[in-house]
Amino acid sequence: MTDHAKTHHLYRRAGFGLAPQEWLKLREMTFKDALEDLFARTQVPAGVLKAGETPDYTRKNISPKERMELQKQERQNVALVNVNWVKRMAAQKESALLEKMCLFWHGHFACETKFSLLATKQLNTLRAHALGNFRELLLAIARDPSMIRYLNNQQNKKLSPNENFAREVMELFTLGRGNYTETDVKEAARAFTGWSSNKTGEFFFRPRLHDYGTKTFLGKTGDFDGADIIDIILEQPAAAEFICRKVYRYFVNEKVDEARVQELADAFRKDYDIGQLMRTIFSSDWFYDGENVGNRIKSPVELVAGIMRQLNVREIAPQGIIILQQALGQVLFRPPNVAGWPGGRYWIDNSTLLLRLNLAAAIFQAGEFNFELAPELEQENKRQLKRLAAVMDLEPLKQLVATSPGELPELLLAATSSPNLKLSPAPDLQALQLMSSPEYQIC
Amino acid sequence: MKRRDFLRNSTLASTAILTPNFLKSSAIASATRLASRSGKILIVLQLSGGNDGLNTVIPFGDDLYYQNRPILGIPKNEVLRLNDHQGLHPELSPLRKLYDRGEMTIINSVGYPNPDRSHFRSMDIWQTGSPATENWSTGWIGRHLDNVGTGKPTYHALEVDDGLSLAMKGATRTGFAMSQPERLRRAVRNQRLHGLKADHTAGNPSLAYLYKTLTETTEAAGYLFEQSKVKNATAEYPKGAFGKDLKQIAELITADTATNIYYASLGGFDTHVQQRNRQQRLLAQYAQSVSALVEDLKANNLFDDVLIMTFSEFGRRLKQNASGGTDHGTANNVFLMGGKLKAAGFYNPAPDLTTLDNGDLIHQVDFRRCYATLIDDWLEGNSMAVLGQQFASLGVV
Repeated sequence: MTDHAKTHHLYRRAGFGLAPQEWLKLREMTFKDALEDLFARTQVPAGVLKAGETPDYTRKNISPKERMELQKQERQNVALVNVNWVKRMAAQKESALLEKMCLFWHGHFACETKFSLLATKQLNTLRAHALGNFRELLLAIARDPSMIRYLNNQQNKKLSPNENFAREVMELFTLGRGNYTETDVKEAARAFTGWSSNKTGEFFFRPRLHDYGTKTFLGKTGDFDGADIIDIILEQPAAAEFICRKVYRYFVNEKVDEARVQELADAFRKDYDIGQLMRTIFSSDWFYDGENVGNRIKSPVELVAGIMRQLNVREIAPQGIIILQQALGQVLFRPPNVAGWPGGRYWIDNSTLLLRLNLAAAIFQAGEFNFELAPELEQENKRQLKRLAAVMDLEPLKQLVATSPGELPELLLAATSSPNLKLSPAPDLQALQLMSSPEYQIC
Repeated sequence: MKRRDFLRNSTLASTAILTPNFLKSSAIASATRLASRSGKILIVLQLSGGNDGLNTVIPFGDDLYYQNRPILGIPKNEVLRLNDHQGLHPELSPLRKLYDRGEMTIINSVGYPNPDRSHFRSMDIWQTGSPATENWSTGWIGRHLDNVGTGKPTYHALEVDDGLSLAMKGATRTGFAMSQPERLRRAVRNQRLHGLKADHTAGNPSLAYLYKTLTETTEAAGYLFEQSKVKNATAEYPKGAFGKDLKQIAELITADTATNIYYASLGGFDTHVQQRNRQQRLLAQYAQSVSALVEDLKANNLFDDVLIMTFSEFGRRLKQNASGGTDHGTANNVFLMGGKLKAAGFYNPAPDLTTLDNGDLIHQVDFRRCYATLIDDWLEGNSMAVLGQQFASLGVV
């Protein structure tokens, strides 16, 4: 594989694809430098999102009508946090790798959040640890108010333990089934009793609800609290394997090469350095093997963010982004359940596929272009699509086609496939043709 | 020439002219084009938002009902009495004749253990058919499709909607979503898709899957469009999307379309505030639409081949709330309708309003028994494979 092809593959998997102007810079670099650049950008401290006010509709003396109004307002606030995140994924000034990692962890630590303040806090938590230490990430998630609410740890009390979080932390977050017993779940639940959150969305430990007694967990005995439980979990060989397998499935191939996962896990468990794990994968030769290229179906959010990035969409109606997520089957902060989005073919049915194939045209059309790109959309009932109100800048695209003709297909489509299209000479139409193909759905 | 033969020819003719490149180069292009129906038909109707079952099938014989619903309770003299204890909401009067003819079974108190009061979660449980303690990512109809195998066309199960519900998604096969045949056909007949060729997907299963789905969708769009033009429904459907959806289903069924499972939804039942008028409107829309559908099916002697199931993700709390509405509850009634029911009328006694769990009804019939009944006794499928465990049939169809 050429250096150029490797750079494209790297930025498709580790990010959301490249904008034409990004590519014009990276194509002058060696692959090694392009890889360094990807990681260097994560070193710039990510701006912490400012949380908005969450209206207090939990107070008692409030009429049902007023409560519904406030809930509606809060739904819009959460939608705004959602949209701002998608815009970050599409923004060239942000670190694509960091945003991709956050999206990965959001699917891993799947959590529904109805409060914008808590959604913002959780996203900041993911951002702070996404490429850091896995133990710290896991501990921060265990203390995250959204997660505490979602998995009922508010109700986990000494006299009436709730096992929900304790079970999922092992089954879905670290070990996988078969690596712990029901007794371990019960004992872990006791250790997490009293881990709660207060009204302002801060972690709050309630000592009176905590079980200080002796617990026996995964073969160890002591008066453990939640942090101890996390440490014991991470001592299990299965933990690093579980995480590495999940990372491999997401970033490399749905079909897992167990020997490689084992190799990655052996290194990962030494210090649980996520950044190092990702660097190892992206620097390996096998990551660029043909079998690991161009065979992964983009998730709806990846697809939308990718189109926005590659077409330099400057503005877009927030409601449009939410409606697209709903229609395509992936709404941020609203995973189907704690197991996250299954991914792969699960994204595809006849209606989502047609919408995906028409998506670029809809965005082009929303961008006030006068040429008749997609007459069939004119009559489309999905009026919302026309209300996307996208504003884009196609100059970089034109510049790329002018300076290096023939490179647009390689920029937009994964290396190993080509839809045999007779491409239009006009750069914008060319982009539209390529982005309307099934090939653009994969990376 | 027989109607069906004519149809086959006309469908062939129209697709031949317009076949896009990727279809021409595809081996599966003609596999499903000639299909017509064999086997029975199931129509699943979903009332989204949590329909208040206690004001749908009203336990007017129970004083506790009126004590808990001093404002919302339907007065005894307005209830359409079915026996001396339960009766229908007045707006369900179009369904009364079905009940009287033995074409309707009412199953009281359907639900599941550890009921979840979140719409989202409870709908997932109903649509996947999972235990409340597990998260499944495929739907019960989808897994039935997995089992019936590859011989069936992609529109074997059809949802009349823009998007596909989780219920219709299997591990290897999915149902088909279409709200309007004309629109679907327009969406696949566009210039950008026209030039695509699926001759380079070898060795890339993801890409091959996308082309396969696109091919099947294009095929189905042509077929379903032709089918939708064959027959016009003659019954009178109420205005609104749900009436239109059921009319669509009636027209496809009477055209002998090779679809065995239909799915449609009516939303808006989340009546926390000012329930009376809202539910009244929705129930009227529901009953009039279903009644028109049945009329059309009967006019074509097809109602014996059809079973209609209606459900909602949960019922509502027995006690009315302070704003003229009701809050999320648990167990609810399920309706089965068809021309060939083995046991019509009430399947089981009215809900027990004295023994409640936290103010909510306790379920008496697991919803998966309803699914097992439909899968095993009606669709000749394998409910054990779909639900992961054996549920006893209700023995009503």
